[in-house]
Amino acid sequence: MAVKTGRGFAAIEYPTGMNQNGDPSQAWIKVKPDGRIDVFAGTSDIGNGSKTIQSQIVAETIGVPYEWITYDNSNTDSSPVCTGTFASRATFVAGKAAEKAAENVRQKILEIAGKELEIDPADLEIIDGEVIAKGAPQKKISVPDVAAAATWTYGELITGTGAQLKPYATIVEPETGKVDLPPHSAISYASCAAEVTVDDETGVVTVTRLWQCYDVGKSINPTLVEGQIEGGAVQGLGLGVLENCYPYYPSVEHRGSRFGTYLAPGMEDLPQIDTIIIENPSTDGPYGAKGIGEMANNAQPPAIASAVYDAVGVWVTELPITPERVLRALQAKAEPTRDGKTIVFDAELSVNAVGSGISFGTAA
Amino acid sequence: MKAVGARVPRYDGVAHVTGHTQFVDDIRIPGTLWVKAFRSPVHNAGMSNLDTSRAEAMKGVHVITWEDVPLLEYGHLSALGIPADEPLLAKDEVRYLGQPIAIVAAPTEEAAMAAVDVITADFEELPALFDVRKAFDADAPQIHAEGNWYRHFENEMDRRQIRKGNVEEAFDQADLIVQGVYRPAAIEHAPIETQVCQVVPEANGRLTIYSCTQALYFSMGVVAAHLQLPLNKLKVVGGTVGGGFGGKVDTATETMCALLAQKSGKPVRWRWTREEEFLCSSTRAPWHMEIADAVTKDGWILGRKMLTLHDSGAYSRFSPYGLTKHSFHHTGAYSIPNLEFDGYVVYTNRTPTTAMRGFGVTSVSFATETHMSRIALELGIDPYELRLKNANRIGDTSPNQIVYTDPSTVPTILAIADAVGHELTPEYRAMTPGQRTGDLLPEHLVGQLADPEAH
Repeated sequence: MAVKTGRGFAAIEYPTGMNQNGDPSQAWIKVKPDGRIDVFAGTSDIGNGSKTIQSQIVAETIGVPYEWITYDNSNTDSSPVCTGTFASRATFVAGKAAEKAAENVRQKILEIAGKELEIDPADLEIIDGEVIAKGAPQKKISVPDVAAAATWTYGELITGTGAQLKPYATIVEPETGKVDLPPHSAISYASCAAEVTVDDETGVVTVTRLWQCYDVGKSINPTLVEGQIEGGAVQGLGLGVLENCYPYYPSVEHRGSRFGTYLAPGMEDLPQIDTIIIENPSTDGPYGAKGIGEMANNAQPPAIASAVYDAVGVWVTELPITPERVLRALQAKAEPTRDGKTIVFDAELSVNAVGSGISFGTAA
Repeated sequence: MKAVGARVPRYDGVAHVTGHTQFVDDIRIPGTLWVKAFRSPVHNAGMSNLDTSRAEAMKGVHVITWEDVPLLEYGHLSALGIPADEPLLAKDEVRYLGQPIAIVAAPTEEAAMAAVDVITADFEELPALFDVRKAFDADAPQIHAEGNWYRHFENEMDRRQIRKGNVEEAFDQADLIVQGVYRPAAIEHAPIETQVCQVVPEANGRLTIYSCTQALYFSMGVVAAHLQLPLNKLKVVGGTVGGGFGGKVDTATETMCALLAQKSGKPVRWRWTREEEFLCSSTRAPWHMEIADAVTKDGWILGRKMLTLHDSGAYSRFSPYGLTKHSFHHTGAYSIPNLEFDGYVVYTNRTPTTAMRGFGVTSVSFATETHMSRIALELGIDPYELRLKNANRIGDTSPNQIVYTDPSTVPTILAIADAVGHELTPEYRAMTPGQRTGDLLPEHLVGQLADPEAH
């Protein structure tokens, strides 16, 4: 009886935006008389940080300090359509709508600044809240002064709208699944290595380390994207070794009804996590960003399952990999069945063994 | 200062951690009625003689049943043309334990619970089905009138299919066929904030809906459809959510509260208990996946057959969407030229399953990546190198024949190999995502790749 260590690896991919697209997001922006910026969008922030991310995108695109941005996603009267915060779409799709709205506001600021400075707007740029003549930085006007001029001199409201919608990709051949357009926006990629210890007496699997690499396209906010990746890792650890609504699935008995009887990961389960971020920009996300919010919990379960095999030589392919499952697998020491060139694992779990109305593959 | 790329603090982070953020449950409206549900006590049954009269006779109590809903069935995916199969409130049958039947509003939480306690109905219990593998058996309990699996994919197909190349030829040519079964569990979203909603009937005839939804406009659309109201009659207030993970894309409480606010003329509030959140709210689906891969001795994956049974629970909700997404990604981060995928959305008498972080793909990532590790071990090939070899590259095509334009599979694998100190042969260390040539264009991939001139 011993505690054994093992390592496993997994590489994954994940699409950004709703599968088959057709999911609009919109934003509108207005500028207050002192140049402060109000952003209205319908994107719920579920902890993913979309209020922050969209505010950063707007500040960057217009060319004003982040602190000047007020972000309002509070209600459907003032905020335009956002399909919602799911499908890893809040940064990529809704963020793009915010970028487009901000670009329109930037143009409007440049137009009015051009009148004030008597310079062609094409020869102006906005840096840190000041509109500056390209190549002649002494000729400038602050964005607050532009906003005041718009309000009090020209009688104009500086505003801009933006919308992002990728057309619905139709399945044109239901028999093959062929689609007429890419059914996704950018695809993100990640790899994960897991190190576990397995106690072959108690069956307890402890995830001790995770190494993860994510291609995020562009890290709009490194702190928040690291938070997504590390938070996702812990959720993936839960999928791998802890969480289960129906401990004896498919039986519905023994279902937990409170946190005391449902094992979600706690701080004591946290492994050492090393995160590597690479930036291979997308072509149509804001500033090259992709969406990695969801995939952050996808790579750990298979890496953990392989690490358990590496440690104790048994495959547990029903999740989570509980002590009971590990001990039963160690007891059974099941070998795959081999017949000619066909190797069949997990025969006892297959529809071939359990059901009578559907079958799969080659019986060994 | 550059805003993009900066580590600015979370917009509302300080307010969150100091308890100052106003979530839905922090809203206080005088005169608010508490809401509770009368739910199915059984997994599968015919229902008759629903009697709410004793509850309605109680002081200040209001009750809604299926008869109060202008449009009883409106599907989560109705806007995409996918037919609805779930009544907002059960009418003459119940298909899962905890299914809502009647909803009450009362002046206090205790009064609401007392009102629920005096609602009665007769349930004629039927055998229940929980194992998706048995759903196709001749003697399986029949859950839906139309059968035990969803039948409304394009052309009214009863499954999601992917076909690519010639899978039988690939299996004939294979040196080895590796087959396995993968079964990730149902998972609770387990947000700190349970499902919660407050609806206020305004003096101007509008309804203000304070909601924890992940999708303000989507939820507004669902409420408007059930109540048959134009959007100007509704105002959804929210945008700050105490944890969602996919479970709050479901419109779990808003519609019923809106109906009760209309009926009572009073503000109403429904906050699910922790027990309701765990036992009645939707879950991540359990999936049953079987994979058979045709492989060569030197590690090329020639073809894949896959069967997926997606446990939808009692109603389809977002499951057809999730299975389609699953099918589109069933080769993972690799190029496999010959494919035969069949996937079914299978009904069981389980709490309906729904979206959760990684919807449709978390399952297939587990299955395909565990399977890849098994193949590597069977072949005696380094697991990183097996993956690098088959990794999708620029110009390869997806299961549904879309060209990969810029995959990062190879760089992310190399980055982890370096991080953990996993040695690779120089040939593999030098790999890039670039178009396949030379050894990376083996015979089986000739003609399977996109023609770069065509794009």
